[in-house]
Order: sequence, then C-alpha cells, then structure tokens
Amino acid sequence: MEHLLETIGRNMFAIFGVMALGAAALMVAFRSAVHSVLAFLFAMLCIAGCFLALEAEFLGMAQILVYAGGIVVLFLFVVMLVEMSKKKEKEVFQLQSRYAVAAVLIGAAVFVGVFRKVIFGTASPEALVLRPELAEGLNVARQNAQAVSRSLFADYLLPFEILSVILLVALVGAVVLAKTERV
Amino acid sequence: MHKILRTLIPFDIAKGLSITGRHFAKVFFTANRRKVPFHIVSEYPEVVARIQPRFRGRLTLLKDEQGEIKCVCCMACEKICPTQVITIEKGKKEGRKMPFPVRYDFEMERCIFCEFCVESCGFDSIILNHQFELAAYNREDFSLGLEGAENMFEPSQVGKFSVADD
Amino acid sequence: MPTPTLTQSIVITLIQCVLVVAFVFVVVPLTVFAERKVLGYLQQRLGSTRVASGHIGITGWMNRGMWKMGRVPVLSYWRGIPGLVADVLKLILKEDILPAKADKFVFFIAPALSMVAAVVVFAAVSFVPGTFFTLPSWFPYVGGLPVSGGIADVNVGLLWILGVASVGVYGIVLAGWASNSKYPLLGGLRSAAQMVSYEVPLALSLLAPVVLSGSLNFGEMSSRMAIGLPAWALAPQILGFLIYLTCGFAETNRLPFDMPEAENELVAGFHTEYSGMKFGFFYLAEYINMTVVAALASGFFLGGPWLLPFGLQGLVNPYLPAFLSWFGEPHAIFFVVKIIFILFTYIWVRGTIPRYRYDQVMSVAWKYLIPMTLFNLLLAAVVRCFAV
Repeated sequence: MEHLLETIGRNMFAIFGVMALGAAALMVAFRSAVHSVLAFLFAMLCIAGCFLALEAEFLGMAQILVYAGGIVVLFLFVVMLVEMSKKKEKEVFQLQSRYAVAAVLIGAAVFVGVFRKVIFGTASPEALVLRPELAEGLNVARQNAQAVSRSLFADYLLPFEILSVILLVALVGAVVLAKTERV
Repeated sequence: MHKILRTLIPFDIAKGLSITGRHFAKVFFTANRRKVPFHIVSEYPEVVARIQPRFRGRLTLLKDEQGEIKCVCCMACEKICPTQVITIEKGKKEGRKMPFPVRYDFEMERCIFCEFCVESCGFDSIILNHQFELAAYNREDFSLGLEGAENMFEPSQVGKFSVADD
Repeated sequence: MPTPTLTQSIVITLIQCVLVVAFVFVVVPLTVFAERKVLGYLQQRLGSTRVASGHIGITGWMNRGMWKMGRVPVLSYWRGIPGLVADVLKLILKEDILPAKADKFVFFIAPALSMVAAVVVFAAVSFVPGTFFTLPSWFPYVGGLPVSGGIADVNVGLLWILGVASVGVYGIVLAGWASNSKYPLLGGLRSAAQMVSYEVPLALSLLAPVVLSGSLNFGEMSSRMAIGLPAWALAPQILGFLIYLTCGFAETNRLPFDMPEAENELVAGFHTEYSGMKFGFFYLAEYINMTVVAALASGFFLGGPWLLPFGLQGLVNPYLPAFLSWFGEPHAIFFVVKIIFILFTYIWVRGTIPRYRYDQVMSVAWKYLIPMTLFNLLLAAVVRCFAV
C-alpha cells in the first residue's frame, strides 16, 4: 500500500501529463464544439495538476484562475453563441482537420526547437533559479508565490510592465473595434 | 457633498436592515409568549380566525324572541337577487297572522354574496353570517333550505370538512 | 508526536474531508430551514409551520392538547423542521426528466461541476490554526495522530479558492446550453455574465487582506488579520468587508442580485429544464457557495477562529485578564458561529432589499465596486507601508 501510494505520488506529473494529452486529443476529436471546449477545460486543469506535481503551486493556481476561470469561459461564450446548424458547424469545425494536423505538427516542431535546451538538457535551466540576494529570508521551495513575485518585480520588471501595456493596448483596441461596429 | 456621502455610506440600506431586524427580533422573542402576537398571520385551523364584522358569509334566516321565523314572504329578496338563488313558497301556519315561508330555497353554488337580499329585506329577517368555510364534497350540500327552511339556522353540511374537529 | 506515514496522512486527510463534508451537509439544510423561518419573521409571518409534526405522532398529540388549552405549542419555532426531510426526499425521489433534445453528457455533467466546484473550495479553508484535535489512541490505524484544522495547508490557498470558485461558472453556462432551450440559455448567459463581472471586485476586495497580511495561506492570513494588525488597519478592513459581502451576494446569485432565478419576474434561469436531484445539486451548490463566502468573510475580515472581528483581537489580547484567556485563543466554534452569522445576514438582506434591475447590477459592479475596491487596496497598501 505504502509503496504503491509512493509510486503514484512520484509519478503524478506523468499521470497528469497523460490525462492532459488525452483531453487535448479528445478536444480535437469531439464533434460538438462545446464538448471540445469542455475537453480543453479538462486539459487546462490537468496542466495545472502538472504544475502542482512539480511543486509550482503559484503557477498551477494561476493556470486554473486564468485559463480555466477566465479564458475558457470566454471561449465557451463564443462557441455557444456562434454555433449554428449542424451542417454549418460541420463545415466550419470538421473539414479543417488536415489543417489542424499540419498546425499541430508545425507547432510541435517549433516548440521542440525553442525549448530543446530544456527538454534535452541535463542540468536544470538557469531561469528557474532565484538570485541569492532576492531569495534572502525565503524558503523558495515552500514559498512559491513570494519567490515568483520577487523575481518578477526585481529582475523582470520591465518585461512585466511592457506585457501589461500590451494587454492594455489590446483592451483599448477591442473597445475601439466594438465602438466602430455600432456607429 | 451630502449626496456623495449618502451614496458612499449606505444609510438607506442600514435603515431598512434595522427595521426588518427589529421585526425579526420582535417575532422571534414573542411568537410563543404574547397574548396578542406581534406577527400578523393567524394560525387558522387551530386558532379561530378573526373575521371583520362586515364580512359576508352564508345566508341565514333569523327567528324572533318567540322562536318564530321572522320572514313574511314579501319576496323582496327573491326579486332583487341578481343570480336568482332564492326561491320562496308562501304558505300559512295556524296561530300566525303573517304569511309563513313553506319553502325558502337558497342555492349557494350560484350565490355571489352581494348582500342585496339583506338590504332589501324590510323585516330584518335574513342576514349573511360569518361562516366562511364553504366547501363540500357533494353538490347537493350547497342547496340549502329545501326541507321547510329548517337547516337555514344551523351551520350547514357545507364547510364541515374544513373545520378542525379535534 | 509520532510522524504519520504517507498512508496514514492520506487516511487522516480523508477523515478531514468527511468532517468538512459533514459540516457542509449539516449547515446547508439548516440554512434552507432558517431561510424560511427567518424570512417569515422578518416579514412578521411565522415561516413554515405546517408539516406533519404539528399534527401526528406524540408531538402532534401534545400540540393538539396545547391548542385546546388555548396556548401556542412550545415547539412552535421548530414546527417546520420535518419539511426539511420532506424536501430532501422530494428532490431524491422526483422523476429525473431529460429533455429530448438536450445534450445528454453536458446536461449530466453541469450540476456535478457546480457542486464539485462549490465543495472543493473548502480544501483550502482552515477552521482553526494548528491541530484541531488528536485522534483517540483506540482509533484504528491512525490512533493518536493529530488532525489539523484545515484539509490542505497550501501556500496559495486564496488563489485556489478563487480559481476553483471561478470554475463554478461552467456549471451554470453549460447547464443553460445543454438544456437546448431558449430560456435556460438566456438565463445561463445572464448569470454567467453577472458572475464573471463580480469575480473582479470580489478578488480585488480579497487582495486587501493579502496586502495587509503578506501571505496567501488561509490560516496565516486569518491569524494575521485577527491578531497581527495595528488599530488603523480597521478602515480598509471594514470597507473591504462591506464590498466583499456585496460581491459575495452577487457571486452566489442571491437577492438583491438574483438575476438567474428572479423567481417572481423571469423564467427561472439556467435550471429551468432541470428536475429531481440534478436540480437538487444546483440548489445545494448555491447554499454551499453561500457557506464558502461566509467562511471567507469570517476568516479574512471577522477574525476567523478568534473572537473579535476586524483585527480587534490583537489590540485586546495584551490586556486580557488571565481567567478570560480562553477568549484570547483561537477556537473552531468562533469560526462556525461567524459563518452562521453571515448566513443569517444573507437571509436578512434578502428579506430587506428589493432586487436590482439587470443594468443596475452590472453598473454597481463596474462603476462603483471596482473603483471602491481599488481605493481600498490603495488604503491597505498605505497602511501596510507605514504601519505594519
């Protein structure tokens, strides 16, 4: 019993990863768009589980909060409202499967290309280590959120602010687009 | 400034909450104890319902001090009744000068309780009493006064099923 | 204290889960009953009094005797209690109708999502700091081990609570969509839009306690908010509490923000097509969500397991005489009493304030609550900078 539980505990990442992959495959395979969104939601939750298995609590919770709680809801809204007759839906969502496969393959290639050092490397990547003067008085393994916040607001302040400005631009752009449509 | 303060600080909500809170406390602490309860609903089948004096219930014939039916068969009520639920048959009774109703039929299933009959009566011989539990299982139970107007004096069959009979 | 093995700690966690679920399933039916009675009392009525106990059995016999003597029966307060059992039985035994054109899988999974999202939030809620109680030594397998006051003592407890609570929106949206009918779809969109907008001020109002206490752990936050703050931290706390409570009412779809149901004006929203225990799940989820919101309000603003709210405990504690020291310590009973008080407030507000119009609901969220929460956050930051 003890041994079994420990084995399960050690392989949580693999379990969640397989579940996430399965959910992603289901998302592509489902005929109804809403079912696809549900599978996507499940995949997102599984990825949050992967983060938790890696003891990145903050990232896992942010994954749930942002993706599961925010973005997928908006997906669902759009899909629910756009969905029309079965025929139309079929044309829009199912006759694009070859493009989808091509896109997935290209995406996978790009991903492997970008992260090849992380995937095939042996040493732990440097970006994950907090500078010692920032980590002062902090148990990095336990206090994940604090570590992320210190790193974010000391080392990466400028990229962070630029990102928020980009988001603001997107927001203003959305408002402008919605306004011009109505006039 | 006053308006801004009123917007920021929810005085009105606090006022409403205090009123309902007082009601809650009064009912909660007096529901079992006060003679006149604070709550405005009555516990009807167990406690006799209080009825306003002008409530219009079932039609009833009245008797005078000697126990005689006061009705003299002037037919005023029968004529004025908009739904024609009253049927009177004039008759004679020994030892009585005035006419005597041999039959005084009142078919309550059609009665609209308008009280015109009582208003038109010159002898104050009928009233609408306060009986309001007017439900019955049989249609015949609504036809009152078929046998010599005698059952017009008592609480009728009608409504006996809704009275708490403990 | 012995260190538990992995299996033992899992068993203890399961025991905690059972305890928490038992707590929830005791509190929820009592809230449903209290809702009827309290709402009645607020409106000068008596609430539900007409269920069997007044008429049959021994209590019925006693009650009849008291009625004959012209007295209101002693058990008058509780005369509606069997109605609870009747309600639950009705929900369980009622026919479960599946609309012909409904999407069966989604129709089935939507109430489960609502319910799970509501219950799972309690994983991060800590009822009392440290050890809640120690299991007796005769207890099989895990005897003599301590049971802590919360299921999972995670460092990002608040994020867990907010994230899982936001998953609850899916239950509503999917229920509206899966019914394949116009009224539920509109109702689902209506309530989902409301919940998504009120999540923003809700999360922002909970950020003020995060700033004040400097932590995301539920237990740490509640204890620091209760005993670790100076007197001038009162202002952001009280303002934040009022905002949080307002958002909580809206988030759980309760009056005065009950757009999804609006039982006397609109068709009953996303659960129009649901019946039987599936509807019961939505019903339960609503009340569990109320309990969750009450638990958070109690933990972050009302001092959690300490006696006094708004951080007053920390000011009073140094002057507390020795014989009153029991009141200076954290106890789970205080936490539960505060939860019950907030639940009462829910019903109190429901019995007092009329429903908002839909555009008013939205404008309250975006035009008033969000600026106020931002101001409150600023206030908390100032207090944090200069006082703590």
